[in-house]
Amino acid sequence: MSLAFSEETRAKHDRLLTRYPNREAAILPTLYLAQREFGHLSDEVILYVADLLGFTPARIYGVATFYTMYNKKPVGKYHLQVCRNLSCSLMGAEHLIEHVAMKIGVKPGETTADGRFTLSTVECLGSCGTAPVMQVNDDYYENLTEESIDAILDGLR
Amino acid sequence: MPNFTLNGISVDVPDGTTILQAAKTVGIEIPHYCYHPKLSIAGNCRMCLVEVEKFPKLQIACNTHVTEGMVVKSNTEKVKEAVTGVLELMLIHHPIDCPICDQAGECGLQIYYMKYGLHKSRYALEDKVHKKKVQDIGGQIVLDAERCILCSRCIRFLQEVTHTSELEFFQRSNHSEISIFPGEPLNNNYTGNLADICPVGALTSKDFRFKCRVWFLRGAKSICPGCANGCNVEAHFKGDILYRFQPRQNDEVNQTWMCDPGRLEYKRANDARLLTPVVREDGSPRAASWEAVFSAVAFRLWETMEKDGPESVAVIASPQFSNEELYLTRKLAEEVLRTPNLGFSPRTPGNGISDDFLIKADKNPNTRGAQLLGISEEKFEDIVRKVAGGKVKALLVFGNSIADFSEEETERLLADVPFVVQVGTNEGVVSRAAHAVLPSASFVERGGTFTNHAGRVQRFWMGFPPRGKSRNAIEIITGLANRLGAGWKFAGESSVFRAITGSEAPFAGMSYESLGESGHVAGGKG
Amino acid sequence: MELVLTKHFGNERYRHLDTYTELGGYEALRKAFSMSKEAIVEEVKKANLRGRGGAGFPAGVKWGFLPKDLSRPRVLVINADEGEPGTFKDRLIMSRGPHLLIEGIVITCYALETHVCYIYIRGEFAREEGILQEAVDEAYAKGFLGKDILGAGFDLDVTIHRGAGAYICGEETSTINSIEGKRGWPRVKPPFPASVGAFGRPTIVNNVETIADVPWIVTHGGDRFHALGGAEKNGGTRLVGVSGPVNRPGIYELPAAVSLREVIYTHAGGLKDGKTLKAVIPGGSSTPVLKANEIDVTFDIESMQKAGTMTGTSGVIVIPEGTCMVRALSVLMNFYAHESCGQCTPCREGCGWLAKILHRIENGQGRKGDVALILDVCDHMMGRTICALADAAVMPAQSFIWKFREEFDQHIRDQKCPYGNRF
Repeated sequence: MSLAFSEETRAKHDRLLTRYPNREAAILPTLYLAQREFGHLSDEVILYVADLLGFTPARIYGVATFYTMYNKKPVGKYHLQVCRNLSCSLMGAEHLIEHVAMKIGVKPGETTADGRFTLSTVECLGSCGTAPVMQVNDDYYENLTEESIDAILDGLR
Repeated sequence: MPNFTLNGISVDVPDGTTILQAAKTVGIEIPHYCYHPKLSIAGNCRMCLVEVEKFPKLQIACNTHVTEGMVVKSNTEKVKEAVTGVLELMLIHHPIDCPICDQAGECGLQIYYMKYGLHKSRYALEDKVHKKKVQDIGGQIVLDAERCILCSRCIRFLQEVTHTSELEFFQRSNHSEISIFPGEPLNNNYTGNLADICPVGALTSKDFRFKCRVWFLRGAKSICPGCANGCNVEAHFKGDILYRFQPRQNDEVNQTWMCDPGRLEYKRANDARLLTPVVREDGSPRAASWEAVFSAVAFRLWETMEKDGPESVAVIASPQFSNEELYLTRKLAEEVLRTPNLGFSPRTPGNGISDDFLIKADKNPNTRGAQLLGISEEKFEDIVRKVAGGKVKALLVFGNSIADFSEEETERLLADVPFVVQVGTNEGVVSRAAHAVLPSASFVERGGTFTNHAGRVQRFWMGFPPRGKSRNAIEIITGLANRLGAGWKFAGESSVFRAITGSEAPFAGMSYESLGESGHVAGGKG
Repeated sequence: MELVLTKHFGNERYRHLDTYTELGGYEALRKAFSMSKEAIVEEVKKANLRGRGGAGFPAGVKWGFLPKDLSRPRVLVINADEGEPGTFKDRLIMSRGPHLLIEGIVITCYALETHVCYIYIRGEFAREEGILQEAVDEAYAKGFLGKDILGAGFDLDVTIHRGAGAYICGEETSTINSIEGKRGWPRVKPPFPASVGAFGRPTIVNNVETIADVPWIVTHGGDRFHALGGAEKNGGTRLVGVSGPVNRPGIYELPAAVSLREVIYTHAGGLKDGKTLKAVIPGGSSTPVLKANEIDVTFDIESMQKAGTMTGTSGVIVIPEGTCMVRALSVLMNFYAHESCGQCTPCREGCGWLAKILHRIENGQGRKGDVALILDVCDHMMGRTICALADAAVMPAQSFIWKFREEFDQHIRDQKCPYGNRF
C-alpha cells in the first residue's frame, strides 16, 4: 500500500491510542486524521485505516458511511454547509440557499467546476439563535444575509 | 427457576431465560426475525413485541428476561396490531420478487404476512428505495440488498462465529444497506450458513439458485459424509435427486452450522453414480443382473480361496461406509473369506483442509467407526505391499478410491490383480479397473450410523430407496456372504446394529432409540 | 435573579483558568474534596437537578443506579452532542465557561468514584472543541486534572471525543457506541449504561449543562438550587434558547418555572417586524407544538407535561403567522428521516414514510386519507422502538396535525400550498 500517515500524523495517532482502552475506540478520531491527511476517505484510505487499526475494511467503511462529516468523495476547497432546519428556515435559509446556488452556479450536493466550492444543505448546526447559519469547513458563519454571504464567498479564495 | 404466565399458561423456566425462549418451550411461537438462538441479541426487527403486565409499553420478548410472577400476553389484539404494523413497515420497500425468489415457501416475510398481514400496500410505488440486486459477494452466496430486512443476523454470524466480519451495515436511515466492502468478498468456509439464517431472500445460495421450488422438496435427516466431524444435516430431495444440504441442530457437534465444502457433498449422491451391477469379461464391461453378479463374484472368490488360499484374498474396507456395513465387512473377511487381509485407510485424495471449528482433516465420516470395530490401518499398508508384490489374487474394494492414491497410482496398483471387485457408489478409477462392480446405495438411500471423530455414534435416515439398481451395502455384503454359505439372517440396519451392540464393547448399551436424533458417544477405546 | 452559569459569560477571559479562578472558580471543587461522596450526591438529589439534555431525568437518581461494588472501573460521559433543533445552549457553556464544565466533571467523578471521563462533542463544534481542549490542557497543567488533583489523592483523565455528524449520537447509548468506535446505534436496554456502558463499564451519561450546574450546587447547597427553580420537582435555573423571528433571539438563564409567555415577550422581546405569534415549539423540535393561545404555561417539567408537551431542551422555536405549518412539519420530518440511525424497523421505515407523505402534501400531491395515514404510521412508531427518536418524530407530527388540521386538509383538498411553497 502506497498510502501512509506522515511521521507527524503517526505520532499524533500514537498519542491518540493511549486515550482509549482499545484500538476500536480510535476509529472515529483516526478517520478524522486520515481525512485531513489524504483529503477524503477513498476506498484506498479505508483499506489503509483498516490495516492500521486491525479491522476489516467493511467495518471501517460501515463507520465512515454512518457519519455525515466523513467525506467519501472529494469536496471542494470550501465546503459550504447551509442549515435547512426549522429555525434557520423561519429566518430565510431557503432563500439564502437558492442565492448561493445561483451565485456559484451549482445545486446543493454539487461542486463547482474549479473545485473551489461544494454546496450542501445540512441539518441543525446548534446555533439557532443566530439563524440563518452556514458552516464552511470548520468555521461557522452566523446571522447571514444575502449581503454578508456574498462578502463571505468573495473572501474565500 | 422463575414461574411466569404466558397467555394464561403457567411456565417454569431456568434463570436467565427470555420470554421468547420460554415461549418456545411450550410451543408458543412469538414472531421474530433478528433473534437466533446461537447469535447475540439485536432487538431490531421489533416483531416479537408482547404485552407485559406493569410495563406501559410493549416489550420485545427476545430481550426481556422472565421474572417470578411475570404476566405476559402475546395473543391480544394490541399485540397483533403492533406486529401487523411492524410487518407493514418492513414491507414498504420490499420488492415483490416472490415469483423469482428462491426463498419463496420458506420466507419469513411470507410466513408472517399470511398470519399477521394480508393487507394491501399503502406505500406509493414511486417512493420505494431501490438497492443493488444480484450481487456475487463471494463464497456460496448471492446478495440482493433490496430484499434485505436489515435484521443483522448475517453480520452477527460473521462477527461472532467466523470472526471474519466481511459484511457490515453501510449508510444510515432507510438508505442503510448490508454489503461487503468492494473487493473484499466473503472469505471463510462457512458462508453457506448465511443463506440458512437469512429470513428472506436477501442472501441465497448460488448453488441452489433457481434449481427447485422448496415446496417440492422432502427432507431426510442425515449426517454429512464430507469429513469426520459428522455435522448433522437434512438432505433435501425431489424424487431421487438431491438439491441441497441444510444443517440440523446438534449442540454437541455442529450447533446449527455446517461448512461450505460439506454443503456441496450432496452432489456425490447425484453425479456419476454406479447404478447397475457390471461384470467385465474379455476386458469390456457388461451390465448384469444382481443374480449374475453375485454368482460370478462368489464363484471367483471361492475359486481363489481354494487355489491360492485365503491369504491371497484381501479386503479394503472404507471409512465412508456405515458402522453396520463395516461390521459386516469384518464379519465377511474374518468368518466367510477367512482372510487376515482386512484393512482400511483414513487417507483420501483431496486437500485435507481443517480448522479449529467444524472442518476435520479426515475427509471420511466413519474412520472412528472403523477403528472401534477393530479394522486395522497397519493392515492396509500391509495389503498394499502384498498387492504390489503380486501376492493378492482377489481384491474386494469398498469405496470409490483407495487411500489418497492418485488415479495413476491406483491404476498401477490394480492392474495386475487378477480379480478386483468394487462395492461403491460413484464412477472413478476403481470402477474402471474393477472386474465386477456392485453399486451400493448413497448415504440418503439407506439408514445406518456413523461414528464421528469424537466417537459420537449418530444415525442417518433413508430418504428414498436406492437409485437405479443400486442396493443397500448390507444387502450386498449379506448376499455375497450367503452365496458363500454364511447363512446370515440380517434384515436391515437395525438388526445389524443390535448385533454390534451385542458384541462390540464400545457400542454396548446403545440402541437406535437411545441414539435418537443427536447421537451418543461410544465408550472405551477401539 | 441569581445566575448559576452565565454570570461571567460576558467576560472574554472567563474561559481561561486564571480568570476563572480569580472569579471564584474551583472553590467548589476544594469544598467537594472536603465532603463525603455521599454528601455530594445528596446535595444533587436535594437540588432536584433534572437532566438538561431533554429527558429531564433527575441526575441524583441516575447516579444512584451505579452498582455499589467498585471492582469495575466507571466512566463518566459528557453529552455535548447538542443536535436538537432549536437548541444552542451547551455551545455557549463550552465556549464561554468551559471550566464550569470541567469543575463540574471533577466534582461529579469524585462523588461517583470515577477516574475516566469522555466529553463527546458534536463534530460540527470545531471551534468549541478547540476552546474546550485549551481549557482541559490548562486544567492538566495546573493540577486540576490528571494525577492527585489538588493534592487530594484523586486521579481523573478527561478526553474529548469528537463526533462526526449524527443527531442520534445524542442518545446516551448511541453516544457510548460512538465513543467505542462504532456506528452511532442506540443499544437495546437492558442492560442500562449504569451497569454495562462504555467498554462494558458502569457509565453515567450527563448533559453539559447538567454537570455545569454541579459546582454551584456544591457551593450553595442543593436546597438553594432547588429554590431557585420555583417549582416543586424542578430545581435551579435553566438556559432557555429562543430562536425564530424574535427581537432578541439567544440564550437566557431563567428559573425553571418561568412562564413561556415571559420568555418570548419579555426576554426575547416578542416577535419582530410586526409579526404575530402562530405557534411555539417549546423544548426543541421533538416536543409537541403549542398554539399561540397556549403559551400561558410555566416552563418546568411537570407543568409542561400537564399541558400536553415537554420542557425538553428548553429550545423555544417561535413560529409567526404566515408560516405554512405543513411546510414546517415537512422540514422536521426530513430531519428525522435523515437522522434515523436505521437500526430498527418502525423508525427506519416510518420516519422515511412520514417525510415522503409530507413532501407530497406540501407539493400539492396529497391524497385523500394521507392525514389518517400519517397518524396511523405514527401509532406504529410510538413506543415500539429501541430509542426515542421515533417518538421524537411522532410528537411534532401528531401535534401539528391535531392543532393545525385544517391546514393539512386544505393542502390536500386544493392540491396546492396556500403559502406558495415558501416560508
